[in-house]
Amino acid sequence: MRKNAIVITSLLLTGSLLLSACANNSNNESSSGNNAAAKSNSTNVEATTPAETVPAGALSEPFTATDLSKLPAVAQKRTDTIIVGLTDPSGAFTPYFQQSGYDGNVSSLLYASLVTVDDKGVPTPELAESWDVSDDQLTYTFHLRKDLKFSDGSPLTADDVAFTWTIQYDKSYDGSSQLPSLNVKGGKAYKDGSATAIEGIKVIDPQTVSVTLEQPNATALVQLGSNVLSKAYYGKDYKFGDLEYIKKLHEKPLGDGPYKLEKFIPGQEVRFVANENYFKGKPKTEHFIYKTTEGDVWQFVETGEVDYASFSATDENIEKLKALGFVNIIPYTPSTYGYLQVNLKHEQLKDKLVRQAIVYGLDRQSIYVDAAQGAGSIANIPASPISWSYTEEGINPYKYDPEKAKQLLDEAGWTVGAGGIREKDGKPLTIHYLGSKSKNTDIFIAVAKENFEALGIDFQPEVFADFNSLVSKVEGGDYDLVSFSTSMLTDPADGFMQFFDGEITDYDNPKFLELYNKALATTDIEARKAVYKELYQLFNDELPIIFTSYKKTVYAYNGRIENLSVSPFIGLAGSLPTWSLK
Amino acid sequence: MSAYLSKRLLYMVIILFAASLLIFCLYASTPGDFITGNIKLTAERKAELREIYGLNKPMLERYGIWMKNALHGDFGYSLAQQKPVLQLFNDYIWNSFLLAAVSTFLTWVIAVIIGVISAYKQYSWFDTLVMIAIFAAMSLPSFFIGLFLIKILAVDLKWLPPGGIITTGSNATGLAYFKEIVTHMTLPVVVMTLLGLGSLTRYFRSNMIDVLKQDYIRTARAKGLKERKVLFTHALRNALLPAITLVGFELPALFGGSLIIEKIFNWPGIGQLYMQSFGLRDYPLLMGFTMFIAILTVIGTLLSDVLYRIADPRVRL
Repeated sequence: MRKNAIVITSLLLTGSLLLSACANNSNNESSSGNNAAAKSNSTNVEATTPAETVPAGALSEPFTATDLSKLPAVAQKRTDTIIVGLTDPSGAFTPYFQQSGYDGNVSSLLYASLVTVDDKGVPTPELAESWDVSDDQLTYTFHLRKDLKFSDGSPLTADDVAFTWTIQYDKSYDGSSQLPSLNVKGGKAYKDGSATAIEGIKVIDPQTVSVTLEQPNATALVQLGSNVLSKAYYGKDYKFGDLEYIKKLHEKPLGDGPYKLEKFIPGQEVRFVANENYFKGKPKTEHFIYKTTEGDVWQFVETGEVDYASFSATDENIEKLKALGFVNIIPYTPSTYGYLQVNLKHEQLKDKLVRQAIVYGLDRQSIYVDAAQGAGSIANIPASPISWSYTEEGINPYKYDPEKAKQLLDEAGWTVGAGGIREKDGKPLTIHYLGSKSKNTDIFIAVAKENFEALGIDFQPEVFADFNSLVSKVEGGDYDLVSFSTSMLTDPADGFMQFFDGEITDYDNPKFLELYNKALATTDIEARKAVYKELYQLFNDELPIIFTSYKKTVYAYNGRIENLSVSPFIGLAGSLPTWSLK
Repeated sequence: MSAYLSKRLLYMVIILFAASLLIFCLYASTPGDFITGNIKLTAERKAELREIYGLNKPMLERYGIWMKNALHGDFGYSLAQQKPVLQLFNDYIWNSFLLAAVSTFLTWVIAVIIGVISAYKQYSWFDTLVMIAIFAAMSLPSFFIGLFLIKILAVDLKWLPPGGIITTGSNATGLAYFKEIVTHMTLPVVVMTLLGLGSLTRYFRSNMIDVLKQDYIRTARAKGLKERKVLFTHALRNALLPAITLVGFELPALFGGSLIIEKIFNWPGIGQLYMQSFGLRDYPLLMGFTMFIAILTVIGTLLSDVLYRIADPRVRL
C-alpha cells in the first residue's frame, strides 16, 4: 500500500513538472526574442547594417543625451579613438572581391569613390570633381581632382581607374560586382580573350578617363564611379585569367579613403588609423576601431566599450536607450523594402484581382507596425521613403479591407465552397507560404492565418531555419508566396533588380520594360522622377510582387561624439572624417 | 603491443577515408550551394561562378579533387572569407582551445576532489548539498547562466568585462596582455566549468562509492594502512580507471569550440565560424574543419585505449 502511494505521488510530481515546463517555454521565447531585435535579417550575404524597422510615433527627431556625466569611465578615457560595433568582418577588404556586406563596411572607410551619393541618393562628386555624359547617354567622362594620392603617397590617376574597370571583366573574376552587366563596349571581347584591352575605356590624360557603354544606363554613373584600386599595387602581378594573387592582398589593403588599416585581429577588431593623404584632409579622430560583435551589442553600449550601434526602433529599445542618459539617438529608415515574392506561374496568382485581394485582406498594419512596436511602416511601392524617387501620388495604400478583398475574389471567380474554402473550376484556393525562421515570420504567420481564413483561403505556411534550403525551394518553384527583403538600394532602378537578375522570371509586361528602360536612358533626375512615378503607379496597381514594409532603425551613439551623421546609402563613411570627440 | 598499434593505425586510415567520403557526400547533397545563397545573381552569372569554383562537376570528381589537394596539405580557400582554410583555423582555433583547455582542466580537478570527498562521506550533509548543486548545474541552460552573469558582474557591478578576448583598442603586451586575457576569460570559463562539472562529479562519486565497497579496501584498512594512503593510492587509482576512457573523447571537444558560449561572450572562436559556414555552404571550410575533428576523434579513441592499457595491468590489448 505504501509502495503504491509512493509510486503514484512520484508520477504526479513528474507529470506536473512536465506541464509546468510547457508553460515556461513561451516565457523563454519572448526573452530571447528581445535579444534578437538587434540582429541582422535573413539575407546573409548582402547584409549591410543590422537594420530593422523604425517606430512610427516613438522617435521622429534626433534625441540628445540628457546626462553626459553618466558616461562610463572606459569611454571617457578614450580621447582619440572611436569604437563601432560590426557583425563579423571576415578579412576580405578589397572592394569588388568581397562576399559579405560587413567587409563592405570596412572597405568603405579604406577606399573613396569617384562619385558618391547624398542623403537622397543623388550623385555627388568625390574623387572626381566633375563628369560629362555624352548626348547619346553612352559615354561618361570623369575628371579627377588634381594631386590625388593613395594612403602610401603614390599618385592616383586615370590609369588606376581604367585598371579597376578592366579587372572586373576578367574571365576568372568571381566577385559580386554588377559592373560587367553594364556592357561596356569591348568588355565581352576582353572576357573571351579575343581582345587584350577593353575598347570602350579610354585614358585621355592622367586626370581624365572616359568609358563608353553599349546601351544607356543611368545607374552606370554611380557604379562606374565606385572605389578605385591602385594599379601599381593590385595590378602588379595581374595576368589575364589569373586573379588568385589578389586573395593574398585582401588583408593588406591599399586605399585612398579617410582611414588606413592599422591592424586586423580576426574575429575581434579591425583597427584603423587616420590617413594623412586623404584628399579632404586628415580626419579629426586619429583612431577608429570596428569591434566584432557576434552576439548582442547591448552590454557593450551600456558599459561604454562601443561608441555607436544600431538597434531596431521598437518602443522598448528606445526607452532603454533614453534611460542610459549618455547616448544620442538618431531615427533612420534604411534604403530597403520588404516584399512577398509571388509565384506568377501558379494559376491562382496569375490574376491581378487575386493579388490585390490578398493585399486588401492582409492586416499589414498589425503585422509590420503594431506587432513590431512601431519599428516599421507599410510599403506600397518598390522604393524607400528616403529616396529621391519616392512618391505617394496616385498610389493606392491598400488599407486593410477584408470586405473589399472578398468582393475582388468573388469577381475573379473564386466562390466560397463547402468547408469555407474558395474554389474555382473544382480547385481550392491555397497559398503555400515560405518564410525564414525569425520572430517576424512567426508574427506574419499568426496574423495571416486568421486573415486568410476569414477570406476563405487555405493558408499553408512553411518555415525554414536554413536560408539556402529556402532559396533552393524557391528556385524549384514549389511555393506561392515567400517573404524577402531587398539589400540596400542606391539607385531607384535597384528597386526592380529582382526582375532582371533571374529571381523573378514570369512577369512579362512590355509596358514595364518600356518604362524601366526609359528611366535608365537619361541621367536627368527630374525626367527620371516622372518616369518612376508612372512605374510605381503601374506596380502598385498590378502587384507583380506584394509590398509589405519598410524597416525603421535607430542609431545610438555616445554623447561625446560631435558632428555625427549617417547616410542611408553609404553609412557612416561619409561623415566619419568630421567626427570629433568633446 | 606494436601489432595492436599497427592494426589500429590501419583501421584509423580506413575509417578516415570512409568518413571523409560520407561527410563530403552529405554536405554536397544538402539543398543549395554557396552560389544559391546570393539571390542577386543572374542565372548566367551563377553558371559562370559555378564553373570557376568547380561546383558543377559530379560529386565524386569533386571529392577526388578535394582529397588529392588535402593529401598535399592544401585544404583550399574558404569561399566566404576568401582566405586559406588552414590560415582561418590558425586564427580562430587557439582561442577556442584556450577556453576549452582551461575549463576542462578545472572541471576535472574540481570534479575529482568533490566526487572523492562526497563518496567518502556518503549520505552526509556535504554529500546531499553536492548532489543538489550538481542537479542544479546540469539543468541550467548555458545561455541563461551566461547572460545572467554578464548582467550582474559586467553591466551592474562592472567587475569583469562584458565580452571579447581583450579590451577594445588595447595595445597591451607581455604581462599586461596576459592579465587582460585572464580577466576576459574568467566569465566564459566559469560558465563552461559549471556546465561540465555536474555529470563528471556524479561519475566520479559513483565510481568511488563502488570501489570503497570492495574487499581489498577492507583488507588495506585491516592491515593498518593510513586512511589517506587507502583513499588515494588504492581507492582513487581504481576509481579513476574508467575515467581514463573519457580523456580520449575530450580531445575533439578541446578544439571543437562552443557555439553558444562564444556567441554570448563574443569570443573569437571556431564554433560560430563553423555554424556560419554551414548556413553559407562554404564547402572548403566545412570539409576542412569536419575532417580535422574526425581525425582528432580517431586519435582520441586510440589514445584512451592505450592509456587504459598503461593504467590497468589487467587489460591485455
